[in-house]
Amino acid sequence: MRRVIRLNDIEVNSVTKRFEDMVAVDNISMSVEKGELFGLLGPNGAGKSTLTKMISGMLNLTSGTIKVGKYSIQDDPMRVKEILGVVPQDIILYDYLNAKENLAFYGRLYGLSGRKLKDRIKELLQFTQLDEKAVKRHVSTYSGGMKRRVNIAAALLHEPQVMLLDEPTAGLDPQNKHALWEIIQSLKKQGKTIVLTTHMMDEAEELCDRVAIMDHGKIIALGSPSQLVRKVKMENTITVVPDKSSPKLIEIMKTVSGVKSSYIAYDETEKSETLKVITDNPDDILPDVVPRL
Amino acid sequence: MKLKRAINQVSAIAKTDFLGVLRNKTAIFFTLLFPLFFILIIGFTFGQSGEEAMSRIVVGVVNLDGELVAVNAADSSNSTIGDLFVQALETVNFTVHGYSEYGDRDTNGTAAYAISRGDIDAIVVIPANFTETLSFQYTNNLGAPVPTKAHLELYVDPTDTTGALITQQSVFGFISGFVKEYQEVAIEQAPPDMKAYVEVLADPLTVSINEADITGNDLKWIDYMIPGTLGLVLIWSGLNHASMTIATERTKGTFQRMVIAPVSPMVVLLGKLISALALVYMSAFIMLLSGVLLFQVNLYWNIPVILLAIFLGALSAIGIGLIISSLTKNEEAANSISVIISVPLQFFIGAFFPLSIMPAAAQAFGETLPFTKLVNAMQKIMTRNLAFDAVIPEILYLAVSSLILFLLGTIAYRISLRRL
Repeated sequence: MRRVIRLNDIEVNSVTKRFEDMVAVDNISMSVEKGELFGLLGPNGAGKSTLTKMISGMLNLTSGTIKVGKYSIQDDPMRVKEILGVVPQDIILYDYLNAKENLAFYGRLYGLSGRKLKDRIKELLQFTQLDEKAVKRHVSTYSGGMKRRVNIAAALLHEPQVMLLDEPTAGLDPQNKHALWEIIQSLKKQGKTIVLTTHMMDEAEELCDRVAIMDHGKIIALGSPSQLVRKVKMENTITVVPDKSSPKLIEIMKTVSGVKSSYIAYDETEKSETLKVITDNPDDILPDVVPRL
Repeated sequence: MKLKRAINQVSAIAKTDFLGVLRNKTAIFFTLLFPLFFILIIGFTFGQSGEEAMSRIVVGVVNLDGELVAVNAADSSNSTIGDLFVQALETVNFTVHGYSEYGDRDTNGTAAYAISRGDIDAIVVIPANFTETLSFQYTNNLGAPVPTKAHLELYVDPTDTTGALITQQSVFGFISGFVKEYQEVAIEQAPPDMKAYVEVLADPLTVSINEADITGNDLKWIDYMIPGTLGLVLIWSGLNHASMTIATERTKGTFQRMVIAPVSPMVVLLGKLISALALVYMSAFIMLLSGVLLFQVNLYWNIPVILLAIFLGALSAIGIGLIISSLTKNEEAANSISVIISVPLQFFIGAFFPLSIMPAAAQAFGETLPFTKLVNAMQKIMTRNLAFDAVIPEILYLAVSSLILFLLGTIAYRISLRRL
């Protein structure tokens, strides 16, 4: 029997999502406590985005139930959407509008208008750290970091209690990535409940209170980052600095015999993203790993 | 409160969608400037007066009148009436090029050579005895005039059927006027005892061809073209825009972001509909205004009926666009299908050519299209100045088809929501 200890903002119970013959999310149950920053870690195709899309109401569930706050996503989707702020993985803004116009548009979708909308846009433009000139330029002229910040601001307009951040730092350089981490930490300090999906262990370690590692639609490990790191350190890890870091490397590593799992993490010593490969026999598999990078 | 919020959402979606067109140069061209561009083309092509049009018909004249001919066993070389004929051709604004002989297509300097190269549109050959026949110089033994007809030859370019038809009609019209003038002079100059006899013989049967008073206005060709272009506007602005709007948003992900906001799918649809309708009306307004300002189109403006017909036609166009937009995978696919459907469709709505000249199957297909009904209704209202009751069948057809097509578009849109 499930024991609910603290108030949860998100409850996922036995959720499955099937696309024809493919099971993207396989009977997952988990809960996220109020004010918690919860990480969903895993390679591409693990089911993280599918799970967040179901929580946000964008995808229907094949089976199971999801509750956000007091509301069920199946029975009361509009109420869930009211209290949920979603930052999608891709930058989803109208590139022919400027930052202010984008925020005004999304604000009006969430029912804001008049003075309240203006004040909120003003606050969030400060949050995006865009200068006066940039605010008036079309989003298409912004750098990746600027777009990311506006992308997050658009999800904050209605002051949501629960936020879903789907790989918010994907494709950012280390400097912009660290700037975004600070933003995410400030959101946590405001008491928001946050679900963060990522494929980078260091990001999960830096930001999250708890992390669920997903693979093939299932949660294969769940705990605090330190617990998970301790578990990983008990095994042998090869650290590789690839010419170009890419989530595809994780897929490639799956094809190497003897590799238990792999992930991408920022290495402070190397000052770049590295590929961590977990195995029982590092010496044996190294000749197979290197040529595939 | 809920209604106020929904109105706020609809207006945000409509405004953003509309700005998407206004801030996209390609979209502006195809939705707003293309109708203007089109009206300029047809205006400059068909908007001028009849005399100006005639001046562009180049007639090659081989005037053999004045050459030596035998009349009553005597030689004659009178060219008076032939020269008059040529002068009259020039007076009514034909461009006349003179040639000494008809010749053949390979001999430079002859009329046949010129028409084969497209330098002239038609050739009129005036016979050598033109003046002699028309001045009653042929007589019998008793000295009485022998009725002898003058025979003009007209050659047109068979490779340009439309041009040949227009040229032929224009030259026939001129000849008919010339003959009339000639008859009046001939009757006037006839001896008093012959006058009544000549009068009847010269004109034994008269047929007058007049234009029926259909429009109450003196219309130019462009005036007939304007109602047809309204049908084209629906296809360019309504169908094409609607087919792109959701597909583009889905490709860019903005549609998904709208779906995760507390917005009803029908609110999104309504916002898109309002934006598409605004584009259609703006496009139609630009086209009509440019017609009025640049070419002084002379039409009747029953504004409520015109607005109603455009609204119903636009709903049909937007319905088709929604079906395309919802069922295609991305904006490229939507664009391709939209072009494949809309380009041929333009030729079946009676905007460029009357449906009556098309094969039966094409006519039947054209008649089923709501845009054809809109063009018919607009022709009745704007050129024939008929009242609303004359277009009730077309309006009813438009209403039913718009309801069906928009409903199908809405169903396709609902289905597309499941594919996010």
